[in-house]
Amino acid sequence: MAGVIGKLYQNVFRRTSSFVLAAIFGAFMFERGFDMVSDGVFENINQGKLWKHIKHSYGQQEEGGDEEEE
Amino acid sequence: MLSYIGRSCQLAPALKGSTQAVANGLKNVIPASSQVRYAHTDVQVPDFGAYRRNDVQDPRAKSGDTAASRLAFTYMMVGGGTVSGIYAAKSIVTEFVSSMSASADVLALAKIEIKTDEIPEGKSVTFKWRGKPLFIRHRTEEEIAKEGAVDVGSLRDPQADAERCENPKWLVVIGVCTHLGCVPIADAGDYGGYYCPCHGSHYDTAGRIRKGPAPLNLEIPPYVFAEDGLLIVG
Repeated sequence: MAGVIGKLYQNVFRRTSSFVLAAIFGAFMFERGFDMVSDGVFENINQGKLWKHIKHSYGQQEEGGDEEEE
Repeated sequence: MLSYIGRSCQLAPALKGSTQAVANGLKNVIPASSQVRYAHTDVQVPDFGAYRRNDVQDPRAKSGDTAASRLAFTYMMVGGGTVSGIYAAKSIVTEFVSSMSASADVLALAKIEIKTDEIPEGKSVTFKWRGKPLFIRHRTEEEIAKEGAVDVGSLRDPQADAERCENPKWLVVIGVCTHLGCVPIADAGDYGGYYCPCHGSHYDTAGRIRKGPAPLNLEIPPYVFAEDGLLIVG
């Protein structure tokens, strides 16, 4: 573990340029992960209430309605 | 401090004399010197172990040997703060900018698709586009030839016919008079194009002002000719 941290310090943190690059790259990764996790939590809490959870039932009804009209 | 010691050295004989003059048994034992050190061997060095990082629990550990792990921890803290700061700043800016963009219902009304083969030659058809009337005119060959022959320098708002019509067969203009915003009447007026009944502005079949109070030609919206004779305005 210490070896990994030492390598990280030697190769990334010591130079400001590589540190900033690592921060920006990390921000991209963090954004993806954080958004996925927070969206997952939101959808889990609102299970069955969102449009994408109920869309299929309305689609079938609409098709049924169209057939009746025809 | 150093200069003070030096000065006291110069004063050594006088100090010596005074030391000897004092009747004190203890002072006589000490060899005569201006510098007297009292070693505080009884002072206990406190244990700072609770405040030390794990790498430097041993107070004699060399700083250079443990620098990598100690500084890496500090930089990771700073880097983590930077990453979440960048994310927060980006989210705030994105949310703010997207709040200024048009909503979906507005965007859905922003474009209109027109089937050009439904408009007969020589006819002007009116559509509603973004709350304004839109004139689409299928021009005849005579009209195209007539507008192309007009001397551009003689016009109030000089624009050649080719500038105004991407496809010479089709004129697409917003049907709002540039004078005070009335809706002109199609196929009327002295030039066969549009005539504004409010104050008598005459537009030709390229939508250019030819006579009357209006200062500018009829406005042309952005439009493209898609495949299959489909005209998309917006």
